[in-house]
Amino acid sequence: MKVTLISIPVRDQEKALKFYTEKLGFLKKKDVPLEGGNRWLTLVSAEWQDGPELLLEPAPNHFEPCKVFQDALMEAGFPYTQFDVDNVDADYDRLIELGVEFSVKPTKMGTVKFAVFNDTCGNNIQIVETL
Amino acid sequence: MTFYQTEIERIRKICYSNDSQIETVIATRNYIDNNYDKDLKLDFLSHIRFTSKYHLLRLFKRYYGQTPRQYLTDKRIEKSKENLINGMTVTETCFAVGFESLGSFSKLFKTKTGKSPSVFQKEQLSRSKLDLEF
Repeated sequence: MKVTLISIPVRDQEKALKFYTEKLGFLKKKDVPLEGGNRWLTLVSAEWQDGPELLLEPAPNHFEPCKVFQDALMEAGFPYTQFDVDNVDADYDRLIELGVEFSVKPTKMGTVKFAVFNDTCGNNIQIVETL
Repeated sequence: MTFYQTEIERIRKICYSNDSQIETVIATRNYIDNNYDKDLKLDFLSHIRFTSKYHLLRLFKRYYGQTPRQYLTDKRIEKSKENLINGMTVTETCFAVGFESLGSFSKLFKTKTGKSPSVFQKEQLSRSKLDLEF
């Protein structure tokens, strides 16, 4: 068995695609039309294109408990997904420039530095740099 | 302050309050990052940080979740992939990232990545060639 896919629940796949590619810099990898306007939509890191794919899935629109869970995480400020970065401060500055909202500014904790931002699709996302 | 931030502060006090320990393991990791290609020994690392070998080993594992040896191995494999992609031969790569035997390098590389170094390199090179052709 191999780990190749990480899913992120989103309310609006098109909006998520724009945010994740235009602001975060991911690349679109697969876009398969499904029923009811839903898509199997995956992205990869620009710097690791054969790495795991990120699935932007519209689960909150079709499965109420997913929506409830996502809302609860958002309200509590919890990031359920995190990405590795080389330099949290540099990405923080870059994303602030692009109008991304952070709930946690770059913060050191033990052997990591992290920050948390709002992906505008219902999720808090954490970026982490290992020190 | 969100619930998450409150939790982070609570956990920080419990798990990450010893600044000198944290400083020691971060410096050790940086040292490995900058010297992965050399014959690294834990004795030497612990001398730099004025601590005992076993203490340093425990600390590193406590904060990074893996031993310095495991971290060094992962680092060397990561670097060897870069070298192979950049066209370095398997033998050159093996010694350039600090391994001493070609046999153990190839075996380890296959265990960690699922492919031997030569197969990995062939695939990478044919991939970039394919990109040009299609």
